[in-house]
Order: sequence, then structure tokens, then C-alpha cells
Amino acid sequence: MAMRQTPLTCSGHTRPVVDLAFSGITPYGYFLISACKDGKPMLRQGDTGDWIGTFLGHKGAVWGATLNNEATKAATAAADFTAKVWDAVTGDEVLTLAHKHIVKSVNFTQDSSCLLTGGNDKIIRIYDLNKPEAEPQEITGHTSAIKKALWCNNDTQILSAADDKTVRLWDRNSTEVVKQLSFDMSVSSMEYIPDGEVLVITYGKTIAFYNALSLDMIKTVDAPASIHSASLHPDKDFFVAGGDDFKLYKFDYGTKEELESYKGHFGPVHCVRFSPDGELYASGSEDGTLRLWQTAVGKTYGLWKCVLPGECAAEMVVLLEGSPISTEELWSSVRVTIGLLVTSLTKVLLP
Amino acid sequence: MRPHVSVLRLPRGPDPNGRGFDPNSPRFIALCPTTISASTETGTDSVQMREEQRARSVLRESFLRTLIAMTNKQVQFHMYERVKVEAKFGASDIDVLNFQVSELHTPIGVQKEALLRCQDVISYSFDL
Repeated sequence: MAMRQTPLTCSGHTRPVVDLAFSGITPYGYFLISACKDGKPMLRQGDTGDWIGTFLGHKGAVWGATLNNEATKAATAAADFTAKVWDAVTGDEVLTLAHKHIVKSVNFTQDSSCLLTGGNDKIIRIYDLNKPEAEPQEITGHTSAIKKALWCNNDTQILSAADDKTVRLWDRNSTEVVKQLSFDMSVSSMEYIPDGEVLVITYGKTIAFYNALSLDMIKTVDAPASIHSASLHPDKDFFVAGGDDFKLYKFDYGTKEELESYKGHFGPVHCVRFSPDGELYASGSEDGTLRLWQTAVGKTYGLWKCVLPGECAAEMVVLLEGSPISTEELWSSVRVTIGLLVTSLTKVLLP
Repeated sequence: MRPHVSVLRLPRGPDPNGRGFDPNSPRFIALCPTTISASTETGTDSVQMREEQRARSVLRESFLRTLIAMTNKQVQFHMYERVKVEAKFGASDIDVLNFQVSELHTPIGVQKEALLRCQDVISYSFDL
């Protein structure tokens, strides 16, 4: 039986969080961007959830957000018919790319030179960020709004999922469809794992894994509730999923067994992603919060500290008996220690 | 009693007074030179950068002084969609995203207090 999870709740958004993305691992750690219907996407430190800044400028709900690997650039897709590129260090808006309808998805190439966008106008666009005034390359074919468009196969191909219940693989140069998958219902989310070329797709209560190059199905797993998003751990030993029943589920990728389920959110879970080091996963919900969950519950990492039994009691005893400090300092220290002890105890008692 | 996980503190939330991106953070200081886009085009010559930075400081200071000079004066704003309004300028917010104005004269009447969205403003003029 595993330990209870104490997720870290990141507040700040005032409306549902609909998308989130991690950067790669940089010399300053890794970062997390969240897209929210309040129109104000936020950048956070990835391992602690600490707020770094808010990208101000969109005039409508932000549906998609992404960071480049180095976390120096951010891109957002919004209901104000624009996609914006931002400097993720200063928070300044760098580029506004006008579209003809709501933009839902944005994705950088590995070298951050091109931006892929997709949205309700059913067209996939490729912008060269070194020549932003140039007309973007357009890829047409989808017959309904595009939910997600991602670079794959070393940025030579594009994967797109749309409300027309298809997932299509396109060649970047010819802009032709290479392969297509059709489903009985709309795909709710898509994640691409370059290392191993795995595609994670969710629809209904199913989490499906495909080979990203051939679009051959690897396996499917069914969850107890309708799933909105899933993410595969970098080591491919587990995956997490969340959806309509507000819970986060953790499954063993090899055996397809449901290992854990965690309550915490007060609304449906819209997006879930593993951090680049796999130590935690972040979930965004209709309740307007982001929560960070530990992959290995009980480990000391980020803001989580594993407290061994007897540790708290020992701290207090040492301080009360014969401490070589003045009475005044002793009392204020004792107050602090008691405070910490109470916090630790109540955390155990909370559901 | 089994080991349990405690939380050192909650994640820090947004600062209500600004948009963040602390210029004193190690990341900002280390990566900042590359964010002066004009410099990266002409090459990172340190003398050129210093000159450019000096010029930017002068311009920024002049701009801030114009904002001070504008306080409580009648300002004509020329905005998108052929909008021309006049108001008494009050203040700007820290990121120059909104201007607080009073007695805003609009085609449909005078608004006692209003906020003008700066990104909608093309130009503004006032008498010194």
C-alpha cells in the first residue's frame, strides 16, 4: 500500500487551466507554462511550482501554451484569434501571429526556429520565426477544428488531432498526409515522446499508445472514467491520466494495471504532464489550479520532504533540554518547532 | 508510524503588483544580454552594447519624465479604429499596460474615471 500523496497546489489562475507544458532541463532547472481561460498564461519554476511571471497581452482565453527546450521562448494560442511568441526570460511579447479563428495549439521545433499552430480554422500553419513577416506554410485537410498539432520525427513530420475524429501524420516538405488514424469519437488529447517515438492519445475512457512513425497501435488501456489527458513517464514504466471524475490515475505501462488514484482537484482534470526528469507530474483543472504530484511518493524532492518516524519528536526534545541559547531565543525556537510539528501531524491526518 | 511526506511550504503565488520575471534573478541576469534583440543582429561587441544600453536608459528616463509631466494635464489620445479622445491623465501602471484617466470625453459622453488600454493607443499629445 503506497503512501498518501500531498500534492502542491499552485493557485493564481482565476479560470480553468486547459493546457500545460514543461520545458527541457536547463542550467536553471526546468519550467512549466500553464494556459488558462482567464487569458493570462503563467510561467512557473517546474520543481517547486513557484510563480515566475505572467505573460500579459492576450485578449481572450488561452487554449494552448508551450515552451522551447531552453525555456527562453514561450508560445501561446488564444481565443483572440492570435498565437503569440514571448521572451520567457523577460516576459515580453515578441511576436503576434494573426489567425482567422481561435488558435488552439502551438509547438516549437527542437531548435526553436519554427512554430507550428493549429486551431478552429482547420489549417495547420508553419511560421519561420527568423522571418516572421513571411507568409506561413499552410497544411490543409482536416475537416474540423484542430485540437493539437505537434512536430515529430526530428521535426520532419507533423502529427495533428482534430474534432473530425482523426489523427493525421503529415510530411513537412510535401504537406501531404502520410498516414491517418480514425476513431469513433473525438480525440481529447495527444502527447508525443521523441525518445522512443511514442504517441499517447486519449479518447473516451481510453488511453492509447501508438508508434509515432508508423501509427501502429502498441496498446490501449481503459480507465474508470472519461479521460481528458494522459502522460507517459520518460522511463516508460508508468503513465498518468486524469479526466471527468477529478482524480489522477497512475498505471503501470507494462502490465496496464491501475496502481493508484489520487483525489485533490475540485473539477475535471484537463491536462496532465510528466516533468522532464520524471520526478513529478503536473495537472491542470477546471477548478483553476495546477497541482504537482510526486512520482515516487515519499521521496525528498522540490518542496516535498520525507519525514521519518521519530524525526519531529527528536527535534523538539533536543531544543527543550539544555540548549546553549538564551531563554528568549529558546522560547521563540520552541514556538517554531511546535509549529512545524503540528503542521507535519495535521498533514498526516488530512485526507 | 510510517514515514510520511511533508511539504516545506506552498508554491509561491503571483505578485499582485506586477507581472513578475524578476530582473534580479540569476537566470535573467545571465540570459539578459541575448534579449536585447538589436544587439544580437549586429554582433555582441561590448562597447556597442554599452552605447546602446546608455541610449536606451536615456530614452527610458525621458519617457518616464513625460509621464510625470503629463499628470493632471489634458491629453489627446489617438487610438485604433479612428478613435480620438481627450482626458485628464492620472497615472500609468508599472508595466505601462493601462493609463488611469479622469473626465474622458467620448462620442457618447464624458466618463468620470476610466482606464485606457495602452496597446490600443497609437499616440498621445499634451501641452507642456
